[in-house]
Amino acid sequence: MKSVGHHNISKVLLNLLCILLCVIIFAPLCWIILNSLKTNQELFKDSLAMPQIVQLGNYIKAWKLGLYRYFGNSVLVSAVSLVFILLFSSLLAYGLTRFRAKGSNIIFIIILGGMALSEQVALVPLYKILKAFKIYNTYFAVILPYIAFRIPFTVFLMRAFFISIPMELEEAAIMDGYNSLQIFTKIIVPISKPIFASCAIVNLNFVWNEFLFANVFLNNKALQTIPIGLMTFKGDLKIDYTTTLAGLVISSLPLIILFFCMSKQFVKGLTAGAVKG
Amino acid sequence: MKTKKMVPYSYMLPGLIMVLLFVYVPVIMNIGYSFFRLSSYSSSAIFVGLDNYRRFFTDKTFPVMLRNNGLYCIISLIVQVGIGTILALIIDSSAIGKKMKSVYRNIYFMPSLISLVAVGLMFTFIYEPNLGFLNALLKMFNLKTRAWLGDSKMAIYCIIAMSQWQFTGYITLLMTVAFQNVPEDYVEAAAIDGAGPVRRAISILVPQAKEQLLVCSIITIIGAFKLYTEVYSTTAGGPGNSTQVFGLFLYQQAFLHDDLGMAAVTGVFIFVITVVLSIIQLKITRSGQQ
Amino acid sequence: MKKGLFEKAVVLVLSGVMIFSLSACGVSTSTGTDAATAATGTTATGTTATGTTAAGTTAAVSSGQKKIIKFFHRFPDEPYNSFIEGKLHEYEASHPDIQFDITSAQNQDYKEKIKVVVGGEDTPDIFFSWAGDFTERFIRENLILDLKPYLDKDTEWKNSLLENQMKIYTNSEGMVYGIPFRLDCKLFFYNTELFAQNNIEIPKTFDDLLAACEKLKAAGITPIAFGNQEPWAGLHYMGTLNQICVPDDVREKDYNPTSGEFTDPGYVQAMQYYQKLLPYMTDNPDGVKPDMARGTFAMGQAAIYYGELIEIPYIKADGPSLKFGLFNFPQIANAKGNQEILTGAPEGFVISSKTKYPDECVEFLKWFLGKDVGTEQCQQIGWFNAAKDTTNGLTDQSLIDGYKVVSEAKEMSAWLDNALYSTVSEEYLEDVSELTNNSVTPEEAMKKIQAKAKEAQSLVKSGTTSQ
Repeated sequence: MKSVGHHNISKVLLNLLCILLCVIIFAPLCWIILNSLKTNQELFKDSLAMPQIVQLGNYIKAWKLGLYRYFGNSVLVSAVSLVFILLFSSLLAYGLTRFRAKGSNIIFIIILGGMALSEQVALVPLYKILKAFKIYNTYFAVILPYIAFRIPFTVFLMRAFFISIPMELEEAAIMDGYNSLQIFTKIIVPISKPIFASCAIVNLNFVWNEFLFANVFLNNKALQTIPIGLMTFKGDLKIDYTTTLAGLVISSLPLIILFFCMSKQFVKGLTAGAVKG
Repeated sequence: MKTKKMVPYSYMLPGLIMVLLFVYVPVIMNIGYSFFRLSSYSSSAIFVGLDNYRRFFTDKTFPVMLRNNGLYCIISLIVQVGIGTILALIIDSSAIGKKMKSVYRNIYFMPSLISLVAVGLMFTFIYEPNLGFLNALLKMFNLKTRAWLGDSKMAIYCIIAMSQWQFTGYITLLMTVAFQNVPEDYVEAAAIDGAGPVRRAISILVPQAKEQLLVCSIITIIGAFKLYTEVYSTTAGGPGNSTQVFGLFLYQQAFLHDDLGMAAVTGVFIFVITVVLSIIQLKITRSGQQ
Repeated sequence: MKKGLFEKAVVLVLSGVMIFSLSACGVSTSTGTDAATAATGTTATGTTATGTTAAGTTAAVSSGQKKIIKFFHRFPDEPYNSFIEGKLHEYEASHPDIQFDITSAQNQDYKEKIKVVVGGEDTPDIFFSWAGDFTERFIRENLILDLKPYLDKDTEWKNSLLENQMKIYTNSEGMVYGIPFRLDCKLFFYNTELFAQNNIEIPKTFDDLLAACEKLKAAGITPIAFGNQEPWAGLHYMGTLNQICVPDDVREKDYNPTSGEFTDPGYVQAMQYYQKLLPYMTDNPDGVKPDMARGTFAMGQAAIYYGELIEIPYIKADGPSLKFGLFNFPQIANAKGNQEILTGAPEGFVISSKTKYPDECVEFLKWFLGKDVGTEQCQQIGWFNAAKDTTNGLTDQSLIDGYKVVSEAKEMSAWLDNALYSTVSEEYLEDVSELTNNSVTPEEAMKKIQAKAKEAQSLVKSGTTSQ
């Protein structure tokens, strides 16, 4: 057995390291929040100083100017895209991994290739495709590309996870008379809660913050999403810095809050549904 | 039976169609564009054969971009994947209390939830030579202040550092999921056999999470060559062209120089290089062979 | 388990919401060419998550008869956005047969978007476009309406516009392709108090300027606020210096991509003059954003700033207590170029050649970019349009002074980055950036530019499309 002292020192050091990393993560964020509560003049004078009066008005201004209109759209687009990304990807990964079907590898490589494509490259061709299907400047104009562009990565993640699920579970289910769809919904999905949670967070992150497609494919103000709203703070020759920072904080908060809420669920899922045998 | 054979394919169909239609069709259209000179608003296109490719590979910024994207790739693999995985191991180990595990993991993951544009703007601010966070701190300790993003040699490293800050925790999260799914029995068995924590990590945890490690490496490599927003929202390729990267070059060709052909070539290049690197990685780890 | 069921329920609900809102949206947001379908979708738009559309589809009565004009501008921030939309709605009220479909995008994104939508059926009828090659490439594709016939027909209109500004929107073949919306020029702003405190007079020559900077530096004040992280800032200096050091005809030949060579020694000289200013500028300009630099001037931390007329409202907002004045770029003795040119170009709107309503668009621009609106415009948002005599009732002295300079200028010039062919412009931007942090010498920089100019010649000749 290792000596207790030795063990304790490494414990302390490791914990210190973790705390140091937390400081590195938080420091820039705190600085940003600090400065979002100042006036522009205060920012220029000394960016490290505390604000004289806390300018909550910056947040109200940011909200009124660019964000409230776009919030609902972001929620709608993100939610719908997410549901279908998870649905299609899990089905795809299921088909790829649990059946040893012919050509699985080729299909997997094709899906993988989808990840390598740069979004900007697809911009002009996609524009033409969307116009051809008459869905340009509708919610579909972003939802469909989002789903398509995120399936490769999600499939990649899910496949890695599904591979590690033992076949015995399925074999038992088959003997019990389950068909493949039932195996999917009653066995695979429940066990895969952690990876569904990871994928949900990762994809939500992308869709919520996506800018390029939203900017070009959504012309109508009524459809536009938050990232476009953020851009209205970035003026032509000027940036209203403090309001912009406030806007950045507001737009990042939903995802962060959602993550912190979901992560509890996600931990529960890990400890409760873990592979027991 | 015939229907049974079709079953796996019917599961794969919806996803496959989406990807083929909205991702591959544009790719193919793009490959087509790469042999022409055209702009997004021109009514006609001129066939130029391989001339765009020639211009691309002989462009004086090509070596710069190769260096920048390559540096980004290597550093990210070391920091994001390497250190990220080590972090995941540390968090997973007994050194960290149960309550703190999820706290640390969540905190490290948080930056990746902020949009790239927002982080770019944040760091432009932080690196600002006169009132930015970094130089303000340095001034406080009477240390020499630097030009950061304004220094041709340093700028790309500043951007790379920004990315590591943002995404290391992301990899840590993914790897934590993988480690927590390694059956307890394996780990306990190794402990009983006398393996210390480090040994357990190297011989049990990491190999068991091989798939996930592969995923993380591949997405890091692909991300390194698709790099665009991080540079666009900070230096836009400057000073000079010291921070130019393929993704930004593509964008500038398409929208500033109205040269869709060159943009298409860049896109094809990014596509090929990332697919090749990914396949190599797959082959090396011979993943998924059951 | 619960998750599967929950997921299914979510899918159903969301699909329902999506389909419902889609049907409501899909109709009302159809491209402006479908005036008929817009009629059927009017009332349903209220139920979408975000409320009524800004595109003005709330018009209830017989919208099928309305002429829908698509208007695309690049000023989505306040107060400019409200001003523009206000005027558009005002025009709609007085012209019930016209309805505007308004979209806007910020500067950089605007450039992306406009190139994707122009030329397709979604082309805006009226859109913002910079003078110079930016619009000329569209002209080469026959996408822009020639306004000269309209101007010649309505001489009252023609004479109401400042000639020196209209010249910028006229190409070498005499086609008038745009009408200015806001005038602009580059001038030196200076802090009157700091100058007085240090006994500095307005510099008349370049050497005077250097001497003034020396005094300021000795007093511990940053002489010139300058941020070049967006390299157009340095290029504005370069553009002015090129005009001063290189003869007009040589410059004209060089700026034209089919004949550009850039071998005149004046170009190297221009860069050397730029280098003379560098020691007196903000430290590490390549790492400082231009508007940050302007901020330091507005807060009295720097004494001089080479800025644009349109930045006056911003400076006032950033530094309300600042007392500042304006002076022209100082003269350089024995320079071979033209020192009478005022660097600056107006920005304005063009009309698509594919519009269904050319006459209506022209009529609208006559009003929108004319004297009455112009008078309101400078008072409300501090920008001038090209109509003459719009300063009645204007009280802001710095604006009045600025207007005097720009309206009386003998000649304007396009911004260097807009005037040059895109690859040459990019090379210039990169080289000025490197010149600024001393990574390259003027001679080396010009060699690179000469190489690019040579390449541009063949690029332009080989492609009848775009460049």
